[in-house]
Amino acid sequence: MTIAALELRNIEFAWPNQAKSLFVIPELSLQQGQTLFIGGPSGSGKSSLLSLIAGIQLPRHGSCQVLGISLSQLSASERDRFRGEHLGLIFQQFNLLPFLTVEENIELPSKLFASRFQKSTQIFGSVQKHIDMLCNALHLRPSLRGRQARLLSVGEQQRVAAARALLGCPALIVADEPTSALDEDNKLDFLNLLLSTASAQNTSVVTVSHDMRIASKFDHVFQMPPMETKDVLA
Amino acid sequence: MFWLNLAWKSAWSRKYSLGLVAVSVCLSVIVLLAVQQIRTDAKRSFSNALSGVDLVVGPRGSPTDLLLYSVFQLGTPTQNMPYADLQRIKEMPAVAWTIPIQLGDSLDGFPVMGTSVDFFKHYRSSGQALTFQSGEAFQDPQIQPTALMQVVMGSEVAKSKKAKLKDNFALTHGYQAIEETIHSDHPFQLVGILKPTGTPLDRSVLISLEAFESLHVGWGLGLRPSAFDAKPDPQKDLPGLAELTPSELTAVWVGLHSRATVFSARKAIESLKPSASSLPLMAVLPGVALDELWQIVRVVENALIVMGALVAVCSLLGVVSVLLVGLSARRKELAIYRSLGAGPYAIFMAIAWESFLVCSLAIAAGVLGTQLLIVTCQEFLLQNFGIQTHNGWPELEACYSIGLLLVGALLASMLPAWRAYRISLSDGLHPPN
Repeated sequence: MTIAALELRNIEFAWPNQAKSLFVIPELSLQQGQTLFIGGPSGSGKSSLLSLIAGIQLPRHGSCQVLGISLSQLSASERDRFRGEHLGLIFQQFNLLPFLTVEENIELPSKLFASRFQKSTQIFGSVQKHIDMLCNALHLRPSLRGRQARLLSVGEQQRVAAARALLGCPALIVADEPTSALDEDNKLDFLNLLLSTASAQNTSVVTVSHDMRIASKFDHVFQMPPMETKDVLA
Repeated sequence: MFWLNLAWKSAWSRKYSLGLVAVSVCLSVIVLLAVQQIRTDAKRSFSNALSGVDLVVGPRGSPTDLLLYSVFQLGTPTQNMPYADLQRIKEMPAVAWTIPIQLGDSLDGFPVMGTSVDFFKHYRSSGQALTFQSGEAFQDPQIQPTALMQVVMGSEVAKSKKAKLKDNFALTHGYQAIEETIHSDHPFQLVGILKPTGTPLDRSVLISLEAFESLHVGWGLGLRPSAFDAKPDPQKDLPGLAELTPSELTAVWVGLHSRATVFSARKAIESLKPSASSLPLMAVLPGVALDELWQIVRVVENALIVMGALVAVCSLLGVVSVLLVGLSARRKELAIYRSLGAGPYAIFMAIAWESFLVCSLAIAAGVLGTQLLIVTCQEFLLQNFGIQTHNGWPELEACYSIGLLLVGALLASMLPAWRAYRISLSDGLHPPN
């Protein structure tokens, strides 16, 4: 029996100090190795949902299980550790530390967590070999690897961010609008590279985006429930 | 180690703004440490200059004044003591040796000191007897009359005059060198150059008391007798030695057989019956008089140190404010750390390390800068204040200051670190754009 990558039940989320909940999700689950697209307009709480999955925030009610672990039963520092060891995160842009080189950015997870280091070493022989493989798969030229991250184009930066998220073979990639900063041609290229590289490592991918045109690339699509009131936006 | 490395790289990427505030910390450290070091060095060189002397005897007045003019050639004496008293002090059983001191003339601004051959026997600087770079001491004119023309120079004087043995020099009456006050009728020959001692002696010119006296035979108005002659006669015979016993002295340095008798010796000297025309004598313990001097100076040096400390605090606050302002531009960076699994505590540490690194580097630069400054000003301090500065590792007192500065830097680093902690908690993964 495989553990579900994601299992959310009767989730109710609200910001601290606000009475009304931002969204309610009766059920959402994802099998390990599969991909999920979460769509919805701006302000519908997509990003907050990602914060729940990443263990930054906790739901007011309901159970949020990631990789079979109930996040509300972990302490704040245990959730930070869990995120670092088992998840890879990709933002819309500004993913990289601008003062490090591309390679230093990619190897950050293996420097921070021994388990990420060990997984890369076990499966690929060494972290260096895993980076070689990821750069190759994500079409990052070898000449880029010694360059400062701030000198890269947005498309290159997103691919470096994907390589970093995949280093150390995390079980789940969580991507927040990863294609929004890219132009039309790059969008699909990037998505194809991300999804194929992730599936080669049997890594699940959860992506939130307002751009429904990319939804067809994913195994499952989930639409955020409509907002109950407007005032919760404040 | 990982976070330290990251903090360093992050700080380096903002090297210009951080560099500027680091310079201000560095400068304030220099102010603070330089004041402290000059103070320590001043105290050391002042006490070195008198390390073997048990009592300084002069006419009654201010003990610190006596010390300043008779040992450090700062200021001018207002009264002299009778020469006869030297003999009476010498005869006291507790007294081991005496060094008579006569001041008043100069050589290009360097003070001329009339003394006896005992000076070379008994004077100690930092506990060391005097040694010569070249030549030897002048002889006793009572035994060897040509000694009236002999002069010994301190190392600084010789260096500045580029003097060689057997060179001839004319001394100046008083400290103003004009044609009528130059002792051109009495040229001296250089017989010895002393090794550097780090005391005011390096800047002194030494001649015998008799030579000092012979310079002034016939100098009624403080002007050269030949200034009134139509035809100066350089071949004028030297006056007889009997005439040359001085009638007055500026001061006498006294060494005792045993330091334990210093108070009774002082009492004995101070109760010598004064002659009709002179003041009673005063005997000063150099250590005590120096302490009195430091009491006077302490207000100023404390004010300087307090100012230096305030400047240091201000510049540390400057570093903190630059880092605090910079944090709002770095919210993305903090969100990236969070996404990689760093907790708010790790972020606190990263930012704290960064501020602490910047401050400590600036403090280290300040310590080095102080040494550089001292090296640069070494000559000036020695020439103008007789302070022999030294270079090397910081003294204990400076170590305390450096330690305090580092603690201050550590405390100051907590502020931006705490702010980053709060930001990373409230922003989570989504910093505001």
